[in-house]
Amino acid sequence: MKPALQSKREDQNATLQQRLVPVRKMLQACIQCGTCTGSCPSAAAMDVSPRYMWRLVLMGDAARIFHSTTFALCSTCYTCALRCPRGLALTDAMSALKQIAGSEHLARYKSSNRFYASFMESVRRHGRVREMEFMTLYFLSMKNPLVPLKYTPLGMRLLSKRKIAIEIPSKGTGRLDSLFRQAIALEDRK
Amino acid sequence: MERKIGRALVVGAGISGVRAALDLAETGYGVTLVDRAPHVGGILSQLDHQFPTNHCGMCKMLPLIERDAGSQYCLRKGLFHDNIDLRLATEVTAIEGDTGHFTVTLRSRPRFVDPQLCIGCGDCAAACPVEVPDWFNAGLSRRKAIYLPVAHAVPNPYVIDAAACTRCGACVPVCPTGAIELFQEKRRAFHVLVVDDELVVRDSLKEWLSEEGFSVAMAASGEEALAQLAQQAFDVMLLDIKMPGMDGVEVLKKSKDLFPDLTVVMMTAYATVETAVEAMKIGALDYLIKPFDPEALVSKIVELYERRQVGYGEQIEVGAVVLCGGTDCFDPSDGKNTFGYGVFPNVLTSLEFERLLSGTGPMQGTPTRPSDGGQIRSIAWIQCVGSRDLQDQSDFCSGICCMAAVKEAMLAKERISADLEATIFYMDMRTFNKSFQRYRDAAEHEWGIRFERGRVHTVMQDPSGNRLLLRYADRQGRAQDAPFDLVVLSVGQRPAAGVSQLSETAGFALNPWGFARTEPFSTARTQREGIFMGGSFTGLKDIAESVITAGAASLSASLALRAAGGGLALTASAEPVLYEDVSRQPPRILTVLCECAGALSAPIEAGDIPRRINADPAVAEVVTLSRVCTAEGWQALENTVAEAVAHGCNRVLIGACLPYVYARHLKALGMRVSLDPALMEVVDIRTHACTAKDQAATTIGRTIQSDLRMGIARLKQAATLVAPTMPVTPKALVVGGGVAGMTAALAIADHGYEVALVEQGAQLGGNLAWLHATIENFDTRALLDTLRQRIEKHPSVQTHLNTRVVSAFGQAGAFYTTIEAEGGGPETIEHGVAVLATGGQEAAAATYGYGESPAVVTQKELAQKIAGNEIDTAALRAVVMIQCVHSREEPRNYCSRVCCASTLKHILALKKRHPDLPIYVFYRDMMAYGFAESYFTEARKAGAIFVSYDPDSKPVVDVPEGGDPPLRITGREPILGMDIEISADLLVLATGIVPTLPRPLAEAFGATVDGDGFFQEAESKWRPVDALKEGVFACGICLGPRSITESIATAEAAAQRALRILSQRSMTAGKVTARVRDALCARCERCIDACPYGARWMDTELNKVRVNAVMCQGCGTCAATCPNSAAILEGFADGRMLDTIDAALDGVLDNSAMDKQRNAL
Repeated sequence: MKPALQSKREDQNATLQQRLVPVRKMLQACIQCGTCTGSCPSAAAMDVSPRYMWRLVLMGDAARIFHSTTFALCSTCYTCALRCPRGLALTDAMSALKQIAGSEHLARYKSSNRFYASFMESVRRHGRVREMEFMTLYFLSMKNPLVPLKYTPLGMRLLSKRKIAIEIPSKGTGRLDSLFRQAIALEDRK
Repeated sequence: MERKIGRALVVGAGISGVRAALDLAETGYGVTLVDRAPHVGGILSQLDHQFPTNHCGMCKMLPLIERDAGSQYCLRKGLFHDNIDLRLATEVTAIEGDTGHFTVTLRSRPRFVDPQLCIGCGDCAAACPVEVPDWFNAGLSRRKAIYLPVAHAVPNPYVIDAAACTRCGACVPVCPTGAIELFQEKRRAFHVLVVDDELVVRDSLKEWLSEEGFSVAMAASGEEALAQLAQQAFDVMLLDIKMPGMDGVEVLKKSKDLFPDLTVVMMTAYATVETAVEAMKIGALDYLIKPFDPEALVSKIVELYERRQVGYGEQIEVGAVVLCGGTDCFDPSDGKNTFGYGVFPNVLTSLEFERLLSGTGPMQGTPTRPSDGGQIRSIAWIQCVGSRDLQDQSDFCSGICCMAAVKEAMLAKERISADLEATIFYMDMRTFNKSFQRYRDAAEHEWGIRFERGRVHTVMQDPSGNRLLLRYADRQGRAQDAPFDLVVLSVGQRPAAGVSQLSETAGFALNPWGFARTEPFSTARTQREGIFMGGSFTGLKDIAESVITAGAASLSASLALRAAGGGLALTASAEPVLYEDVSRQPPRILTVLCECAGALSAPIEAGDIPRRINADPAVAEVVTLSRVCTAEGWQALENTVAEAVAHGCNRVLIGACLPYVYARHLKALGMRVSLDPALMEVVDIRTHACTAKDQAATTIGRTIQSDLRMGIARLKQAATLVAPTMPVTPKALVVGGGVAGMTAALAIADHGYEVALVEQGAQLGGNLAWLHATIENFDTRALLDTLRQRIEKHPSVQTHLNTRVVSAFGQAGAFYTTIEAEGGGPETIEHGVAVLATGGQEAAAATYGYGESPAVVTQKELAQKIAGNEIDTAALRAVVMIQCVHSREEPRNYCSRVCCASTLKHILALKKRHPDLPIYVFYRDMMAYGFAESYFTEARKAGAIFVSYDPDSKPVVDVPEGGDPPLRITGREPILGMDIEISADLLVLATGIVPTLPRPLAEAFGATVDGDGFFQEAESKWRPVDALKEGVFACGICLGPRSITESIATAEAAAQRALRILSQRSMTAGKVTARVRDALCARCERCIDACPYGARWMDTELNKVRVNAVMCQGCGTCAATCPNSAAILEGFADGRMLDTIDAALDGVLDNSAMDKQRNAL
């Protein structure tokens, strides 16, 4: 008998493998030219380059893929997709990896997932992002008092330049709720 | 000699068009060669240097037999051949009829400058006020609206760029020969009626068209338009569709009823395009979409005007059509333009950079930074711009850019500085021909050119200076910013402009990439019989391939002409004209001077030339004429010469211009006055006078006098030369019965000549016997069956199976080859030409565990297993394929060209059976050149994983004890930077091709074998299927690794080269050939070694050195080598040359020059 924990890990690995198949299909025509890496504005912050990430996907190396934060750092600027000589939907592939990480509740991506969730919550409430509320939601979801402290200097700078305004969080009007419900239903059906 | 000949049309006078035209002309057909450009040479007119020699060698394509039928003259400058009718600035507008009987309509663009009259002085360009970017220098320099299309053509008449010309008329009065006519009145007589309810449209159209010199009338409504039409005749009506009251369609109907010949062009907004199309059905010629682009509108009207001027063009009858339309270059400013082309001045295309390297280019061959003229210290080449890019709709490899970039990098190092940093950014260096890999290796290791694998994504200006910043990911995945002075974009090819229009005119199909499509296994045949393709019109070819496919196309055309009855049969074989030999008579020279419409009268007078020349006792008479280049001028000259000859003159010296242009005229003149053209000489007295306008008339006069004196000295010792002829045995020997040998044998036999086909094996077929399908899924079994059956049934082919060539000797026209069948006696075959098609085979594997396990196979073995259904794909866990096994490294440092395509074919076959089968390919550079690139994409999409490896870190194969799979294959994955391990049940090795051309066999025919065992062609680019020794050709794999279709193309090209010889009963040599003075000859045989054409041999029976006059090309190397002056070149005897030099020096040193020197002393 395998220990329960190991068995669970293997199950998860199999699921991830399964879920990587459509992502791999998106990337099969890749020629490893590195145009994506060269053009990526976030590449310097990534632990592995986008090209490295695609290669891992093609090789089916789920362990390494979901150990890396590369896709979580994708800022969806679409430069790579625009430049790719193969015309691959690279930004969509990054999003697909984000979605797998999110829906499989991988611990490593907890903060990034909560960040996205808080962002969308603010959008749901107001139809746009209210920065202050968005970050408040994020801090609350992280349940760690050190996180807001980390963001304090940035917040102060943005406030002083009037890039963000102080607003009272509110539940919003709920007019977008049905739209969001529909989106979630569509996601589930996939 | 009168011959019943067929005529072919060759469209496009680029390298392939020239080759096809020359091939057909040399075989005896008449050729009409047209090009829409005003010059010959196509894109090669702009490219001065070709690898691997880094020089030009186009002249090597000139006729080698019957050399005097054409001018032996730089082909970049012009093409002159008796059988070729060259029509420049001409387009094909219709091809009607069937194979053998086409009626082709040609339309020549008006040139405004009469090429017969233009003397190229350039006064018009100096006067022209309009400047536009120069196409010839790829837009890097500017030219006038009246200009020379290329710098070096002969003759080189000026032409007018109709689009740029403002018709100001400044050039007309300055032309000394009155060659320019702008047809201003004709344009004014061209009436245009603009019908539109909007005033602003009417006004702007009137302004644009009036500026172009047309007469424009306006009408604001339909009623008004009809009233105007009733009053006055119009040539074109521009008619708006949407108008209040009577709308455009109604006006069209009514006006067409009244004036059926009126040309109507509809004007429409996008919304009513459908109505416009409807209008075309009831008689409108075309439509224009609003808002108008003035340039497009004006050129449309100009086109209508020109069509009215020249009518529907000239119709000619031809038996076959060869289309050599070439390709265009990708324009990187289209689309995303992330490289900043057109934005940063230091970003150039490869063509532009070639112009910078050219001596006739804007920088005279020494490039500097275009932005500020500063020194270039570093250059980056970016490959695959507009190639291999699915976003640019180019799922193909352009095939030529890799080698072009390597060549450019070498030339740049040579021209700019040896310290220049040259970097080539590439994905796969496609060095897919036999000498390419060594050339690339030399570039890397000897020249220090850096090869960086990766794709540059953006070029930016370095904010701190004049440099360009390139951002790319290096092999380790780090993003790099590298500064460069210059960036060269290796632009890919695109279908030639107008290819779709021509495809409709000529009735051929296009392939998915927009290039002309040919039939399976042929590079030449199209779906329409009698219409053939040559060169890169069908996509993506370098010079050698263009020349080969042009040869294949001319062969197909020749067959079509023959089948239609326009064969090569002689109808009346008139004897060559024999002139009375007057060369022994004392010379009485008639000297004719052309004063070129007064341009030369001043120097002629100042130099007192007629009197001084006449002082020579050999000169009987000096006559001054004008404009002998015109028909009237030439008539006057003919009359003068006829009269003088009647009065005892026996030599003619003509002082005019451009001697090469007069060769044809002199032949005609000789016939008329019964004087051998060899006793006539044309001296160029004009070019110098033209280029040295700032010199005093007396100085120019002196040079003219010196030129004339040299001509006189040559004429004094001129002799009537009879071109030697040699008989031809009308039979061919083909060695090797594979696909190439069979194709070549059939091609020659179909022309009615006997062919002996010698095959050492027991049956015909060669490698075709084990192949089943090509990557395109063409059926090779059917091809083999067809070829075998045709060979078997062909009455002119004698097949000798199980037979070897024992010995051979002889020269072009007469070879004697002894063959010996297994178990039979020797037999000697007499033949005129030899075609070697001895083929090659898959190289043996001796590594990666081959032989230790049944799971390790070669590509050929895999192909056989797949065809024999011996592979259970479902039972395989993984397949690994390793490319370049023993290939592309010493000692077999060449690419075998077919293995990568085979790998892709096998991947697709295996994946088709079992889509989930993991397949890994270890490769160095995938040579998926041309359209094979799309299969590379397909194989990747099917899920195969490609891992590149370096030769110094090859994958390692572990074969388990006993050899049973799985095998463990470990290799470095460069992207991940770690080793990967694969357990595979099948390992496929791509071992490449080795030739089977025994050296003694090649040498028996006087051909040579290169270091790798392949047939050594005379010149890899310009004579790719010939041996240096005339009469010996090679095709198929023994020439170099090739696919089936490519082998067939070489076989057809070789057959065509052979037919040039076989089609003549006796070959005529050039008049200038070498001979031996046996009395002086010491038999040292140095001349035999020196002769580059193998035309000399020692006849041991006669104890004499003999010369094959046909093979001799008159280069004179033997004459220079011979220590005894026993080797002499006709027409270049020592005495004659020394006299000519004396005359030249006399002219310079006599008179004042000598006095001045004396005074100085």
